[in-house]
Amino acid sequence: MEPQVSPEAPQRQTMAVDVACVGFGPAAAGFLTTLARRLAATDLPALESAATPGAPLQVVCYERADDLGFGVSGVVTRGRGLRAAFPGLDPAQIPMAAPVREEKVLYLLDPVGASRRSATLRAADAALRALRAVLPVEAHALELPWTPAFLHKRDGFVFSMGQLMQWMGAQVMSTGAVQIWPGTPVAEALFEGSGVAGVRLLDQGVDRRGRPEGAYLPGLDVRAALTVVADGPVGAIGRQLDEVLGMPAGHARRDWAVGMKLVVDLPEDTPLRPGTVLHTFGFPEPEIFGFLYVHPDRVASVGIFVPSWFESPARTTYRYLQHYVQHPYLWRWLEGARLRSWGAKSILESGRRAEPLLAGDGFARIGEGSGSTNVLTSSGVDEAFTSGVLLGEAVIALAEGRRPFTRENLLASYAARRRASWIEAEGRVAERARDGFQRGVVSGLVGMALAGLTRGKLALGEEPPHPAEKLGSLEAFYEGKIPAEEIERIRRACAAQGVPLHDALMDRAGWPPIALDGKLLVTHQDALLVGGKVQAPPGYADHVTFARPELCRACRARACVEICSAEALRPGEDGVPTFDREKCVHCGACCWSCSQRLDGTDRVNLQLRAGTGGLHSAEN
Amino acid sequence: MTAGYQIVVLGSVVPDPLQTLEPVATPQGPALKNEAMLPAVLDPWAAHALFEAANLAAKVPGSKVTLVSLGPKAKLQQVMMAVAQKVPLELVALDGPAGGFTDAHEVAVRLAAAVKALPGLDRGRLLLFGGWESASRGAGVTLQLVGERLEIHDQFQGVDQIAVQAGGALEILERVEGGKHQVSVVAGPPAVLGWATGSLPEPKNNPQIGMANMRQVMPALQRAPAAPVGTAGVEFLSVAVPKAQRETRIVKDASPDEIARELVEWISQD
Amino acid sequence: MEDVLLLAPVELDGALPKGALEALSAARVLAAGGPVQVALLGASVGPAVQALAGLGVAKVLVAEDPALADGRYASDAAAATALAKASGAAVVVAPASSRTSRVAAGVAERIGGRIDTHVAQVSADGGAAVARWYYKQRIEAKLRRKERPWVLLVDPGVAPAARAEGGAAPPVERVAVSIPPPRTEVTGLRAPASGEQTIRPEARLLFVAGAGWTKKQADGKPHPERAEGLIRGFLRASGASLGSSKSLVDQAGEGQKVFAFMSHLNQVGQTGATPRHPKGLATCCHGEEPHVVGWRFIRERRAVNLDPACGWARGKADVLYVADAFAVMERMNALLEAKKGG
Repeated sequence: MEPQVSPEAPQRQTMAVDVACVGFGPAAAGFLTTLARRLAATDLPALESAATPGAPLQVVCYERADDLGFGVSGVVTRGRGLRAAFPGLDPAQIPMAAPVREEKVLYLLDPVGASRRSATLRAADAALRALRAVLPVEAHALELPWTPAFLHKRDGFVFSMGQLMQWMGAQVMSTGAVQIWPGTPVAEALFEGSGVAGVRLLDQGVDRRGRPEGAYLPGLDVRAALTVVADGPVGAIGRQLDEVLGMPAGHARRDWAVGMKLVVDLPEDTPLRPGTVLHTFGFPEPEIFGFLYVHPDRVASVGIFVPSWFESPARTTYRYLQHYVQHPYLWRWLEGARLRSWGAKSILESGRRAEPLLAGDGFARIGEGSGSTNVLTSSGVDEAFTSGVLLGEAVIALAEGRRPFTRENLLASYAARRRASWIEAEGRVAERARDGFQRGVVSGLVGMALAGLTRGKLALGEEPPHPAEKLGSLEAFYEGKIPAEEIERIRRACAAQGVPLHDALMDRAGWPPIALDGKLLVTHQDALLVGGKVQAPPGYADHVTFARPELCRACRARACVEICSAEALRPGEDGVPTFDREKCVHCGACCWSCSQRLDGTDRVNLQLRAGTGGLHSAEN
Repeated sequence: MTAGYQIVVLGSVVPDPLQTLEPVATPQGPALKNEAMLPAVLDPWAAHALFEAANLAAKVPGSKVTLVSLGPKAKLQQVMMAVAQKVPLELVALDGPAGGFTDAHEVAVRLAAAVKALPGLDRGRLLLFGGWESASRGAGVTLQLVGERLEIHDQFQGVDQIAVQAGGALEILERVEGGKHQVSVVAGPPAVLGWATGSLPEPKNNPQIGMANMRQVMPALQRAPAAPVGTAGVEFLSVAVPKAQRETRIVKDASPDEIARELVEWISQD
Repeated sequence: MEDVLLLAPVELDGALPKGALEALSAARVLAAGGPVQVALLGASVGPAVQALAGLGVAKVLVAEDPALADGRYASDAAAATALAKASGAAVVVAPASSRTSRVAAGVAERIGGRIDTHVAQVSADGGAAVARWYYKQRIEAKLRRKERPWVLLVDPGVAPAARAEGGAAPPVERVAVSIPPPRTEVTGLRAPASGEQTIRPEARLLFVAGAGWTKKQADGKPHPERAEGLIRGFLRASGASLGSSKSLVDQAGEGQKVFAFMSHLNQVGQTGATPRHPKGLATCCHGEEPHVVGWRFIRERRAVNLDPACGWARGKADVLYVADAFAVMERMNALLEAKKGG
């Protein structure tokens, strides 16, 4: 939508570069690291700019968040691609990094008795409890005696992604060969025919609805011979490309998860050693996975993933996270811990099946949004980084050969490298690994094991449907726990108060109230302010809007409000959720959770665009 | 004024305002816990000074803005990615600690030397800008000390406005007690201006300005000389976060009438 | 024991400035029994000299010159330097004000000394020591310095005001000052263009308005005119000083509707003022940390906000009223007016 501006208003400016990169995450870091090293090399012929004749290749990267490393999350990774790019990588150089020392996979029993467990699980739980004398069951958790190799991150690292990104950003920028600009969201790709000719940055000095105000500055048009789309799982440009160009046959973005985490200072006498990695499943709901990674200096990351196959529309990650940290197995270490940082992000979990067109005239896709994540090994950062390295190598080869960034050339250089890579080989093994979760948690886990152990030859289940179709009803989810008429009463009461449903429903389902201690168990808003330091600069439009308000009014689930990681979306008086830009952490959970598809397409009613602000912590 | 002003802005990085600050003892003296990891921003008052400098430079042809900054090189680089998109500037970077506990006198020595060493420095055109305080040391003294070392004896603090008068004199508004401004007219440069907030909005991010600035900023960062500064003759006896937590009584279901009565009664008590 | 000098520019009428007697008490603490001299500078310092009688001051040094009527760096620095040198004091204490803050560091530099400002506490156990703020009132440090002379700007409230206990007027010594020819002329004071003086340092109450006043209200529309009327009415009826959150004053720069009587001078917090009032009332303001650091010197704090989970609820206020500030203020104004009338 072109804003109405008075004749004296500033005109939209244009700038030309050679390569414009959208987003600075691990993929862009891999790409820019590779490219910047070549550009800075003094023993090789210079790569010349077409945009600025006589100058070296002009490379810019625009990052939405207010600084590098804001808004990405902690990981454990094998770091194969990282090691290759940074031989002799010393984790001591990167704050919060530690080599993996110990890994455990745990099945958590439900000591509360409030989770929704199938009859199979209940029977299994009873058996475990009965046999706890002979099984490795401790503090309501079963330590799996054996975990398949594909899940292991041996020889890997525990990282704070924020710190890793800041470190890599500093390495890249110190070459002086490329520029990375945080706080600069990209509004849209500029199409020319079926190709991309650059990007348009977000308008500044506008009101919430995007109308120019006093200090209006229309977003700059950045013309680029190559646009590198690295904006992650819910990036506006990646999704725009998918909409305009379509996905390859049989490919779609279907599975997702929202991850939320706390970074905590552990108590002074903690026995947990740096490099300890715990993966959990089974609690607070069977569908919810969790993790605890221990960083140096008594710091730990602890969090959960709420996946798309968790059918409850009242899918609140924050409340579940509060119960998760209090599970007896974890609480013995976390009691007395203090919140340092908090954050949330969503993950595209369709893996290779969500691979879009990897390249076209003037553009290439890398990272999570390019389907690089491996859903079998639960590994994404290494793959994303490596996909960026591959594109970097391809771009260097093309620039050295003075060949243009056409679809044909990019397919022959970048896509071919990708096909020949371990990302592709392993991604194919993982392709169907999680389909079993469409039937239930147990078949999901069995399916993963099958796929992993047969190198992808066998799997369970079927391809997931569009996320909107997967969402169940509250009545079905709480069947046997809360009668339908009571759910309706709760619905009306919450609507009257203007609050989401999840707290009332979970209270009623038997989840105990959270005894806030002001240290680790804090209100959701405190997590935002004290943990995430969430803020947003003024002068930008709302980046969450609703295409057709009438669809919101008719929507009963309003899962966008329930799942909002930051309480930025709240029930609105006229049935359309309200959006508070200053609270949003840009996790994208709302977009994945919208159950109102537009005209049968893959698009949904909730419109998520690029926006500024969000987390101001670089520890996540 | 034909040649324009040489506006030198002094300013460094401080922790992003919402960060939780906790002091720790180090062999070099007090510091902030996780100081290297805390997201940083350009000190808010220095930022106002920089924006005012750019505004003035834009009005007076031939003017140039130089930001002289003493801070850890990596943090400066990071902060420049946000700042360099805002206004045209040249950076002179000094690689040293930017924490609040370093001594202002030591910092002033380094900064004054860096300003004196600026190529083509012309006192007749020099305006030395900075924040009247900082969000780190918060003493409001470094700028004055630098001014003294440069022998600039027209100094203003808490400045909210500067206006160039016909003939080149500068009218300057300084904050004084009671929400008023003291109005002064200085014959012209050189002068020291410690800025309060001024009245300019933060400039929008302009990638074109950023592109142009970075061609100079990155080499400047690479050239940044080491500028170790410490706590000299200061002996810190204790460093602590004051206890500020109160027992908050939350009144939820009172009517506006009841609340108003309670508040009026509270206001009226001595 | 230290030789301590209290340095104070006098008021326009020659009176001792506010805070000078508190600073004198602080000087005495630091002197730990040593002599305390006082240095006064101004166009005419007679009334201030008289006010020092009976306060146990060893000597009063005086710099009088018409050029010292207004605070101006070049003349104040020259005079204060001459006075400090003439005193030979090891520690120079001055009450913090816009005038002393402008010049104290320059004086420290000229006398080859060191300076600390925002001194909140002084003591002499084991040598002169001070407590001062760092990181905008978020961290407090107690420190000593080896170097002398040591210039200290002490904040209000650092010590109880010194009281006269009888005795002779101290001897007065005039110090010759060579004031450089001025390049700066102080032309006067200017109040904000809004006309109404809303910053009242002497007020018992700080009233803070947050950005919520300009946001949409229950009817889905913003009501800035009504908000303006309520706030101005309250200020008139209560005599409170007006503070603001950053987000509210920033709206002026963003071209939004903002209250005409408010400017960045009203801003309280990390990048604004840290005013001192016995009580503070926050309305439509979230009470986030960067704002609340500006409340460090507000003793009793109450807030009115619709959000029960706002920052004020988390130990930042004594009382949080979860309510619509429009409704509460309307009734408060009525009550205050009725009180006045009655």
